[in-house]
Amino acid sequence: MLSPYTVLDLTDDKGEFAGMLLGDLGADVIKIEPPEGSNSRKMEPFLDGAPDSERSLRYFAFNRNKRGVTLDLNSDDGKLALRSLAEKADFIIESAPPGEMDRLGVGFDVLRQVNPRIVHVAITPFGQDGPYANFAANDLTLAAMSGQMSVQGDPNRPPVRITVPQVWLHASAEAVVGALTAHARMLATGEAQFVDVSAQTAMFWSMLHARLAHPIQGSNFNRGGSVLQLGTLSVPVVYECADGHIVALPSGATMVKMVHWLVADGVVPEEWIEGEDWPIYERNLFQENAVRYPMEEVVDAVSRYIKRRTKAELLELGLREGVTLAPVSTAEDLVRFRHLEERGYWLTAPLPNGSEVRALGVLARPTATPMSVRLWAPALGQHNQEVLGDMLGLSPASAAAASGRKG
Amino acid sequence: MASSDKLPFDGVKIADFSWVWVGPTSTKYLADHGATVVRVESLSRPDILYSLGPFKDREAGPTRTHAFSDFNTSKLGLTLNLKTPEATEIAKRLISWTDVYVESFTPGTMAGLGIDYEVARKVNPSIIMVSTCLMGQSGPASAFAGYGFHAGAVAGFYDITGWPDLAPDGPWVAYTDVVTPRILSAIIMAAVDHKRRTGQGQYIDASQLEMGLQFLAPQILDYTANDHLTTRNGNRSNFAAPQGAYSCAGDDQWCAIAVESDEEWAGLVKVLGNPGLATDGRFATNSGRLQNHDEIDAQISQWTAAKTPQEVMRLCQAEGVPAGVVQRSSDLFEDPQLAHRRMFPQLDDPQVGPVPHTGHLFDIRGYDHGPRSPSPLIGQHNEQILKEFLGMTDDEITEAVIAGALE
Repeated sequence: MLSPYTVLDLTDDKGEFAGMLLGDLGADVIKIEPPEGSNSRKMEPFLDGAPDSERSLRYFAFNRNKRGVTLDLNSDDGKLALRSLAEKADFIIESAPPGEMDRLGVGFDVLRQVNPRIVHVAITPFGQDGPYANFAANDLTLAAMSGQMSVQGDPNRPPVRITVPQVWLHASAEAVVGALTAHARMLATGEAQFVDVSAQTAMFWSMLHARLAHPIQGSNFNRGGSVLQLGTLSVPVVYECADGHIVALPSGATMVKMVHWLVADGVVPEEWIEGEDWPIYERNLFQENAVRYPMEEVVDAVSRYIKRRTKAELLELGLREGVTLAPVSTAEDLVRFRHLEERGYWLTAPLPNGSEVRALGVLARPTATPMSVRLWAPALGQHNQEVLGDMLGLSPASAAAASGRKG
Repeated sequence: MASSDKLPFDGVKIADFSWVWVGPTSTKYLADHGATVVRVESLSRPDILYSLGPFKDREAGPTRTHAFSDFNTSKLGLTLNLKTPEATEIAKRLISWTDVYVESFTPGTMAGLGIDYEVARKVNPSIIMVSTCLMGQSGPASAFAGYGFHAGAVAGFYDITGWPDLAPDGPWVAYTDVVTPRILSAIIMAAVDHKRRTGQGQYIDASQLEMGLQFLAPQILDYTANDHLTTRNGNRSNFAAPQGAYSCAGDDQWCAIAVESDEEWAGLVKVLGNPGLATDGRFATNSGRLQNHDEIDAQISQWTAAKTPQEVMRLCQAEGVPAGVVQRSSDLFEDPQLAHRRMFPQLDDPQVGPVPHTGHLFDIRGYDHGPRSPSPLIGQHNEQILKEFLGMTDDEITEAVIAGALE
């Protein structure tokens, strides 16, 4: 879809998913790293657990569909090469601290002179300016300051983040939406655009309807952990099964079918089937009408039934009977999930140790312009010759000086 | 109108048949930046968000909830009861009018209503149609229908959120509903750009599971390549220490502190004012700190206990230590950085009057943007849409009303 466009991706771990998403959408993405490599090359997890700049699975995960070039932006040759690349590019994405690109002499004001139609996207923790712009930040502190943590986790424990870092991914996806909006604006106005992306605000969106709870209703939402608050009702939604957990809502809609399973399993006596007007069970609870089986009893019966079965069994059963029983998937479950298999989701990726593994597939399936993985993550400086030599026409000596790499 | 007044997506038309959060958030980005987005609803099947708060002044009512209004700004409202043949005919006229047609129902629903892609491309050969549901349009689990917490479990986010000694807490409410809309919005923008250049439309199957998996990519690769499974670990990082949310003075007040390097550790030691920590060899390296995390946490908690979270954040930041207050909705509303980014524009809602909304999460320099108008009331723009966009006569509209097509 974006095949006519060239993207210069100067980001580190904070923005690499943005370039990848544009690359997945068809753009020619040139990943520009410092001579020593992106900081994400030093990030866990590593292939075989071996810390090595060519073995970071974190880097591998978010740098597909990119060509890889090194540039020493502290050198005049490196800066010159970047300006030459900017002439040919449609988008620049970077995640340097506020002011850093200007200090290096390759900020927006310089690049727009070189290319008056450029869209420059900057990803930072809090934005380019403002009272917190220079605060030190990372995934945990931004999950806190964005508000997401305040509504997440067990109420008897501290607020909790999602263990696998998420903030930079939200910021990166937001950056792509910003980039494409700014590109449309460039087409409308004919002017270069600067997009200022704040990870804090990108993550702020993830609070959903809790974001503005206080100004709207006069109070905050509280974290409930694995218990769902439905009005005045507190409904547990996480249940232990034979090999992990599942998520289910023991609502009337669920119980209409499930009560028969409970009876067949001997978990509850047969009179349960007729003993309650199940389709309107939670309405009765909401309206504090008399019910024969209180919520705790229903939850207990459902718990006992679920505990005897595996995630896969419960998913199959639910699908067959039209009851939503959601396995709490691990990576192992996902890789074995027959549904993804039959949709042909997984790809095979070559790894630096010579092995081949299952890797994540495309994000979506447009029919006319299919998304695909054309390139796996580049080795450090893999395309220096192709880009600096062939595309820019630099002499071997200039290319070597610009790339900051010997030879 | 000067070209600089033109909004980025001026002239782009979207028929939004989606509901709840994923589809409507994806189209909101385009609506806020100039696209004409018709949000199609039916009184016979009201958006489930209408029953979810926060309600203005705690008074429940369909259009009084921010769970709907903050996600549907800048759109126009049309009611169609697609169970009537007259409404199907109007839907086809809307489909021939539009550039993009978005729906988010269980696979097969639109075919049942007589307005699937085969029908849509006949009346509008260059249409872009987007179908988004949890599992995607094909595959053995395609009929899996549930809420966001079910989706969050299946997509792998439950298992990695919470405490290692407890059942999974899961992320706040409907996590895939915040992961996928940005990706989907970017895909729609790219498809619109492709259509602008080539005149070519297409069908897009966007599985929320497949988009969501990308936010776990390194950990999935860690499993496929290394056989290693990541699970929930509270607020601790598996790679750096100390990290946590620490209890501060006041009721349920917390500050997150997250050290990722020796330099940041040195800063924290200085902040804690305990020189013993600096000389204790057990804490000198990252792996040592990971091993002795509990002891370090006790020291930090002792220090934070009598301070406000704001105080803790400021003292840490002064030494370059990443720290951030766990902010609630009420804190966010007073956050000086968010205020600097004009994050809470007031829109005059037709139902509840002027209320703050979420502003734009990215900022395009020199473009004074924000949601353009409040979310529509159900059917608010029926006449304008039917007459001006679809060219229906008064008689035709009267017939549609009598047939119940506009309910």
